[in-house]
Amino acid sequence: MSAYWSLFLDLTRRELRGKMSQSGTGWVWLAISPLLMLAVYGFVFGVIFAARVPDGLEVSFIAWLAVALWPWLAFADSVQQAASSMSQHRALLSKVALPRELLALSGQAATFMVHAVSYLLVLLVLQWLGNPLTWSGIGHLLLLLVLLQGFAAGLGLLLATVQVFFRDLKQILPIVMMLWFFLTPILYAPEMLPVELRGSLQLNPMTWWMDEIRAAMFAGKALPSLTLLPILALSAGGLALGLALFKRMAPHFEDFL
Amino acid sequence: MSESLLKLTGVSKHYPKVGQSGARWAAFWGLLTQGRREVGNPVVEALTFAISQRESLAIIGANGAGKSTLLKMISGVLQPSAGKIERSGTMAALLELGAGFDPEYSGLDNLKMNAIMLGLSHRQVNDKLDDILAFADIGEAIHEPIKHYSSGMVVRLGFAVAAAVNPDLLITDEVLAVGDESFQKKCIRWIEGYLDQGGTLLMVSHNMYQVQKLCQKALWLEGGRARAYGDVFEVTQAYLAWHERRDAEALAAGKAHRAHASYQVQSLILPDAESGELTLAMGADLRVAMTVKAVDARAPVVLVGIVRADGTPVYGVSSDYDEVRLNVDNHGLCRLEMVFDQLPLLPGGYALRVHAMDPEGLRVHDTAEVAFTVSGRSREMGLVRLSHRWLP
Repeated sequence: MSAYWSLFLDLTRRELRGKMSQSGTGWVWLAISPLLMLAVYGFVFGVIFAARVPDGLEVSFIAWLAVALWPWLAFADSVQQAASSMSQHRALLSKVALPRELLALSGQAATFMVHAVSYLLVLLVLQWLGNPLTWSGIGHLLLLLVLLQGFAAGLGLLLATVQVFFRDLKQILPIVMMLWFFLTPILYAPEMLPVELRGSLQLNPMTWWMDEIRAAMFAGKALPSLTLLPILALSAGGLALGLALFKRMAPHFEDFL
Repeated sequence: MSESLLKLTGVSKHYPKVGQSGARWAAFWGLLTQGRREVGNPVVEALTFAISQRESLAIIGANGAGKSTLLKMISGVLQPSAGKIERSGTMAALLELGAGFDPEYSGLDNLKMNAIMLGLSHRQVNDKLDDILAFADIGEAIHEPIKHYSSGMVVRLGFAVAAAVNPDLLITDEVLAVGDESFQKKCIRWIEGYLDQGGTLLMVSHNMYQVQKLCQKALWLEGGRARAYGDVFEVTQAYLAWHERRDAEALAAGKAHRAHASYQVQSLILPDAESGELTLAMGADLRVAMTVKAVDARAPVVLVGIVRADGTPVYGVSSDYDEVRLNVDNHGLCRLEMVFDQLPLLPGGYALRVHAMDPEGLRVHDTAEVAFTVSGRSREMGLVRLSHRWLP
């Protein structure tokens, strides 16, 4: 078991280093790119669209957006990373016998972590810019992120399995993810939708996370409530299902890669 | 009773048909619901054998016999379609040297990662690092990314890691063929030491000398099935004999008379042969008569040569080199006779070959061959008697 974890940690570390060393200045870009992105979103939505936050909040739209956007990026990017991990590590899979789920999970975890670090940085900058974030909710936020990571890992494993058999998924997934992004209240608040649509928004599990995350960072929700139950169930269930499917199919991957 | 490190029972492998997306859907669904799939192209069929400790096994066979597929199944990379593989003890597989190396990372990083993938812990890697580096012996290049390595350097690193793992069963797939002479020797020496200390080797190799030296048993695969299994010398010798026969057949097939060629050797006879094959006394004249046909009535070039029975060329000469005029009659036929005076071949089996080439002498259109024997009593060695004299 310890060898398993040690391999997982090593693979994750290697993925992280791979992300760092893609550009010459590595770590610097890890800090700069989220800030630049924050600036772009601030310009587009704050200046061009002059978007507004829901009534009763004392924060800028950009802060309101960013708090939900980075968890989404972590989720979406890491799921896509996991989905393509098997073809990405094809050479390794066909020559070295190792627990294959680790190849999917390490890339997924590394991607999630990079976004999580960016998120923290963005939150600090938002605070510094004078947006009153309720830091008392940070514990709740971290718990939500951990649960989101679990869900992303489960979904990533599931899609990694599917992509071995259906390579078209690689083309389809980014579009599906984009649609999912717009169906999730990230750029908008659920209250902005017509009443009859608000209910169906709750069918999207990412809505649950976004509501909770905003509640933590803007309303200072520090303690989990019953609304956490479905999130917890989805995170654990998704991970278990993804892992079970992956492990069932993984011995046959080499035939289809 | 010796414990077997590896035991295969009725192992088969069929690669599924994966060309169309429909077939992939079906395979996905079959695997998901029933854990099996439709049969595809058989690669390995119904193999049963076991490897005990200190009883190294070589897997031999022609290309495409299923050797690498078998090793992949044994190492766990590939799932057998049927049958059971039982493993006990530690195992390290080098299916390809440098497998698992990431070209972007330095040799040192890859070395550590690879060792962990092969089952070492961090601590063991650190303990053995100096040994690995000494074995690989690639100097400061260890800090360079692998993409700047020569293939020989990758091989050195890969083998050094496997050597450090020191498993109960070491699986190698034709990996000793790479690397320079001195490194190959180093690898062989290491393997010999490893075997002396109770290690067991499962190797795929085309080098029968190596196989006989390192293994006790051999498995000869042909078309995915076990053609022979047993003592390494018996199996390898049978395998080599099979190869020689196959080569001879391939050679014969290549020389079949081509009835539709533009330039054909219509007949080739050795007139001194009374009945059947000519037996010529050593030093006698060899007469040759042949008829060559040219479809376009242009005079072809004729190449006449003598080969030893196994195909080793002894001598060859062409009509255009000798500036012989070939006269083609109005049927397109050209009759030729020649004689090798006092043929200096030593006793043995030979063949006379005639090739009909186009007038430009560019392409061989047809080939005919007739065997003959040179007889005599001589203890000279080689193919021909070279004229010589001892100085007083």
